[in-house]
Amino acid sequence: MENFPDWGPRLLDAGWVSCTLTICGFLLAFPLGIAVEFIRTRRSLIFRLSADAYVSVMRGVPILVILYLSYFALPEAGIALPSLLAGILGLALVYSAYLAEVFRAGFAAVPAGQREAAMASGLGPWQTFRLILLPQVIRKVLPPLLINLVSLLKDSSICALIAVPELTLTSRAIMSESFLPLHVFVVTACGYFMIAWPASLAVRSLERWLCRRAEGSETAQSSQHLLATPA
Amino acid sequence: MDDDLLVRIVAALGSGVIVTLEVTAGALVLAVGLGLALAAIRYLWHRRAIDFAISAYVELLRNIPSLTFLFLLYFGLAAIGMRLPALTAAIVGLGLIGAAVVVDIFRAGFQAVPQGQREAAAAIGLKPIQAFRLVILPQGLRIAFAPLGNYAVALVKDTSLVAAIAAPEVMFNARQLINETFQTTLVYGCAALLYLVITYSLGQAVRWVEHRTAY
Repeated sequence: MENFPDWGPRLLDAGWVSCTLTICGFLLAFPLGIAVEFIRTRRSLIFRLSADAYVSVMRGVPILVILYLSYFALPEAGIALPSLLAGILGLALVYSAYLAEVFRAGFAAVPAGQREAAMASGLGPWQTFRLILLPQVIRKVLPPLLINLVSLLKDSSICALIAVPELTLTSRAIMSESFLPLHVFVVTACGYFMIAWPASLAVRSLERWLCRRAEGSETAQSSQHLLATPA
Repeated sequence: MDDDLLVRIVAALGSGVIVTLEVTAGALVLAVGLGLALAAIRYLWHRRAIDFAISAYVELLRNIPSLTFLFLLYFGLAAIGMRLPALTAAIVGLGLIGAAVVVDIFRAGFQAVPQGQREAAAAIGLKPIQAFRLVILPQGLRIAFAPLGNYAVALVKDTSLVAAIAAPEVMFNARQLINETFQTTLVYGCAALLYLVITYSLGQAVRWVEHRTAY
């Protein structure tokens, strides 16, 4: 433990790389996921099938495979990404499929009348999607979106295997220098835990709060409705 | 693409699949066994200490990455003299993480059994343990089946991480083969296809069983 002052800052730096992976991956996966879900709801069979296939492949294959393909196989196609970018790209591709599923559930929860009303008032499909459906959906899917952000943080550890110098890889490197594997990995595990645990607790209480608020507004509406009805 | 390469891919991924399935099966048995035991204990004995211990276990293992936990088990325990073989470390590691997921699945399953069932069981004179075993458990298991299936599919994917502690499963063998042949896209593409076949057929099997056992 006497060399902790040496490896402490290194772990901290690596923690920032993990956070970069997580945040950039999520920021990329979010619009991608929306796009995939938008394409999936189109009438055209080709669009629908290709978006479905994309989601099935990304969800059915381990993240490690996608990361290896983006890091080791893209160079064969002439695109050599640095490991950090390959990691972000791989995570974003996988999570875009997860988020597309989240959005699907969210869109299913918006009453069909909303879309019909928007279309009837002359909005195009993209406008309807963006102006009417999306704002309602985002509110509904906020908790699952944030839970995905937490699991993205955990999955960013897999980028260690394509040599991104993030928390897990760095602790492995420190381990082979210091011969203190137990200490190093316990500290690393605590590092992940200290971010992921409060985050998941916060999401849970957000979910409960949203639930209560939704119930509250519904009862408020229904009681207003009762008041408005002549006795 | 020559025949020789194809034979080598099939051989490497084929032997990898066996290890992948072994790790999946082992971890699944451990996770379901331990998860069921913990959920049953929690259901039958409402003690604050028990509740706290099980919650701590669940929160701890659900909030650290699987890969970090596998490294901790494999390299960390070796440092204090418990040198686990890679395959054992893989099964124990994924099984312990899985148990944390499965406890919650079973808990939700038991909670979803209507309260009246427990009251009725008590009313006809069954002791709590009998009521649990004969009335709550069979119904809870049925409710828990679909989420357990989802967990199993996710577990198959997570076994790919075991390559990092040198268990010779699909991804490890694929990597070895690429080091010899340099056919990166082809080999990883085949591995992806292989995983897709496994996870898809497992998912379909779960849905089929679920459909068959529905009320």
